[in-house]
Amino acid sequence: MRFLIWFRSIPLIWKLMPLLAAVVLVAPLPFSGGQPTDRHYRVEAARFAYFPGVLRANPGDRVTIELVATDVVHGLEIDGYGVGVTADPGQPATMTFLADRSGSFRMRCSVTCGGMHPFMIGKLQVGQNQWLWRGAGLALLVVVAGAWKVWK
Amino acid sequence: MEVKLQDADELTFYPPTPAQSRRITERQSRFDLTQVRWIRRLMDSRWPLFLARAITLAGFVFTILAGLFGSPVGSHNFAIIFVWLAWWTALKLLFIPLGGRAWCSVCPLPMPGEWLQRGGLVSRSERRLGLGKRWPKALRGYWLQAGLFLTIGIFSAVTLTDARVTAWILLGLIGLAIGLSLVFENRAFCSNVCPIGGFTGMYSQMAPVELRVRDGQVCAEHTEKTCYQECPWGVYPLALKDSSACGLCMECLRVCPQDNIALNLRPFGSDLGATRRSQRLDEAFLALVMLGSALAFAAVFTGPWGGLKGAAYAIGSQAWVGYAVGFLGLNLVALPLVYGLVVRLGQQSWKGWASLRRSLANYAQAMLPLGLCAWIAFTITFALPKLSFILNVASDPLGWGWNLFGTADSIIESANWSFTPLLQIGALAAGLFWSVRLIFQLAAQEPPAHKQWRKAGPLAAFSLIYTLGMLWLLVG
Amino acid sequence: MKREWVALLVVTSLVCLAGLAVAIGWRKQAESILLRASMPETGGWQPVTILATVGEPLHLRLTSQDVTHSFAIGQMDMQPVEVTPGEVTEVTLTFDKPGTYTYYCTRWCGPNHWRMRGTIEVQGDGHFQPEPGAKPPLFVQLGLDIDAPHPAEVTPSAKPGALDGRQLLEALPARYRSQIFYRSNSPVQAWQDLRAEAIVSQLSDDQIWGLVVSIWQANTESETLEIGEALYAQNCAACHGESGAGDGPMADDLVPSLQPMEGHGSTTPIDFTEAANMLGASPAVLHGKITRGGMGTGMPYWGPIFTDDQIWALVDWLWTFQFDYDLEVNHE
Repeated sequence: MRFLIWFRSIPLIWKLMPLLAAVVLVAPLPFSGGQPTDRHYRVEAARFAYFPGVLRANPGDRVTIELVATDVVHGLEIDGYGVGVTADPGQPATMTFLADRSGSFRMRCSVTCGGMHPFMIGKLQVGQNQWLWRGAGLALLVVVAGAWKVWK
Repeated sequence: MEVKLQDADELTFYPPTPAQSRRITERQSRFDLTQVRWIRRLMDSRWPLFLARAITLAGFVFTILAGLFGSPVGSHNFAIIFVWLAWWTALKLLFIPLGGRAWCSVCPLPMPGEWLQRGGLVSRSERRLGLGKRWPKALRGYWLQAGLFLTIGIFSAVTLTDARVTAWILLGLIGLAIGLSLVFENRAFCSNVCPIGGFTGMYSQMAPVELRVRDGQVCAEHTEKTCYQECPWGVYPLALKDSSACGLCMECLRVCPQDNIALNLRPFGSDLGATRRSQRLDEAFLALVMLGSALAFAAVFTGPWGGLKGAAYAIGSQAWVGYAVGFLGLNLVALPLVYGLVVRLGQQSWKGWASLRRSLANYAQAMLPLGLCAWIAFTITFALPKLSFILNVASDPLGWGWNLFGTADSIIESANWSFTPLLQIGALAAGLFWSVRLIFQLAAQEPPAHKQWRKAGPLAAFSLIYTLGMLWLLVG
Repeated sequence: MKREWVALLVVTSLVCLAGLAVAIGWRKQAESILLRASMPETGGWQPVTILATVGEPLHLRLTSQDVTHSFAIGQMDMQPVEVTPGEVTEVTLTFDKPGTYTYYCTRWCGPNHWRMRGTIEVQGDGHFQPEPGAKPPLFVQLGLDIDAPHPAEVTPSAKPGALDGRQLLEALPARYRSQIFYRSNSPVQAWQDLRAEAIVSQLSDDQIWGLVVSIWQANTESETLEIGEALYAQNCAACHGESGAGDGPMADDLVPSLQPMEGHGSTTPIDFTEAANMLGASPAVLHGKITRGGMGTGMPYWGPIFTDDQIWALVDWLWTFQFDYDLEVNHE
């Protein structure tokens, strides 16, 4: 009973904001990717970076990554996809996978290759990065929310 | 005046608006933990805290030994994993947001010095070591701490990955702490020099724990001021306006003859929201340093830019000098200039340098939640994928092939957690909301009473753009 | 007062516990040989020389201080042992003959990877006895100067394959079909010899090349090629390139961090696809260069690492950059 009284006393804006936030976070975004194709990327790995550092693909693409190690043994694992490959210098290794999840995924080195190994990171961007858009939307929402109560 | 402490049941967690931030009304949103008997008993005895400190000190010694003699491979060395992964994550995600300066109460760095200063481990004796000088006024404040944080920051790529360097830095810090304890009074190192202590204290103003006196009248009538005599931080509890200077060791609580000290649970951000008249810019500076370094570290450590990483790692090279200049330029020049500009814009008309300084110092409050939440989000990106190393290193701390608990080879697939972006967005949004709210609250306290958007708009835009920047670096 | 002593005891024992754990671990570690691997630029193998006795098991604990390495002993048929950063792998070796054994790293760990070698001195009864019937390498027996340039005076117009059918090969004098002919003559010399034979005077220049390839192919087995291919991929491709064109990642001297150590010269790795150079060298010359290395060129010496058979297999493989083999023919 006390809860209901407390709930009723909350201004409408505070009841609306969580709802809007949920919408921003969960609502499906319009799909705006191209046609799925086959993509082949030659990624060179040195200590401690990938060249190119950012790979792009459309959702549904069959992506082939050829990992070329240029100094020591390196690996490449993609967060969120769980696929990976290891390459020795002189022996490039290839992996192929279906890019069915969209978003921004970090590629990490999976074989200790020196000091900065834990920070040897690249990015795979499949389609649009929905979390970035949702985050930006949420940021705008909270600016309004933060200003509202005081402004009103 | 009689002040009745409210029950925990009737607690409401709305942060007090400026009109309500008078001390007496504050009490209605505080829950005194000392009223809980078993908590009180724990706090009254010096042994629990001492034991915690002894353990952290032993762990600290082990960390240094592991850093010096263990495997140089960072991911298999206790020093790297426990300092930069376990402890740092605990600090940013637990200790500071929930406990304020709680880590400072168990930190091993000042302990040997403090024991020498006080002449005893669990009690204070007459045989005390040290010159007991006052810390020079010119060196007080957050300046040194911010400077030391920046200095470690330009070497951070090597510090975070090289076990030997980590060990030497820790040795240097404890040596410095002990040395300062023997020259200066109280916790000179912790209050004025420690880079961690700087932002920990600053962010404690938002934490839900505070140490305050119950009844100021009782203190006014007490001439001995036992609490002040015993406090290792040199703090006078009655004078505590915010939680940044108090190390939560609760010595005052133990010695107060009137039992007038309380450890309160309180809403988040209770120390913030009221206009401050000080002209001290050190808090603004440290707040901006924390913002800038969060951006820089996010770019270097979690970004895909190999050139930047290489430059940060190749210490002594030309590329590194470029990186250092950029890093320092961002923190010492770019951010302060932009911040100064937006605060000036919010002022609308020129009211003199003193007024500008007051505004800069005042609005720094709004940069605190922004910074804390940015660091929380960054720590989530930085540390969560590697948490399984903690298990590995617990079984094989020195990389010598041990397997104490059988977990030396375990791998947790934490890199695949798909909800980390949600956590990061949540943290950044919370920080932005809080920051914007504070900006508008503070703006409302300044004349004129209308034109809120013009007063608060520029700084709110600054917070928004900063948040979008962090968002892009971490989630983009 | 008593509290103080108890407190002091607690702190001292906890801190000593921490120190003791490290000290005990250190002592235990020193009981067995811990072989530490680093990139050659920062120390290589430590210790470089290991002593052992014939018949007694040698227990080694291996760890890496920086990147992935691997441990194997030259000219011994053993699986390489992974040497992983921060982890310890173990191997036990037993030697039945005294002598000096070379151990080496088998996974590329930088441009100076091949220099990462050490020795195991095995003591025992008697002196080291060379294998009965062991002879010097072929280039020494033939008196060839493997450092002399070997340009090819004649080259085919395209990458040649073997000539169809074995009849022509059968019709030639027997010496053309001997292994020693293949090993001691360069393709150009073989071509010139064949060109002078009356039996094949009606063939075109390119068809003579086809005959040369037939001879080369007849001396090659698919099993040997597999061995050669694997050896090449693991040991040579990093400099000479997957394609044999001398464009492997280690050959890229534009990257300053990949410069070899001071005092050691280097030139661009040889392009095996370059006919003007390759075809003037005999298999014996190639065998010699691989065995002895190129003085001052950065080409490693593989003599202590590969067996003679392995080096010949590698040489056989190198010709596939110049010739198109069809090895089914060998079994017809």
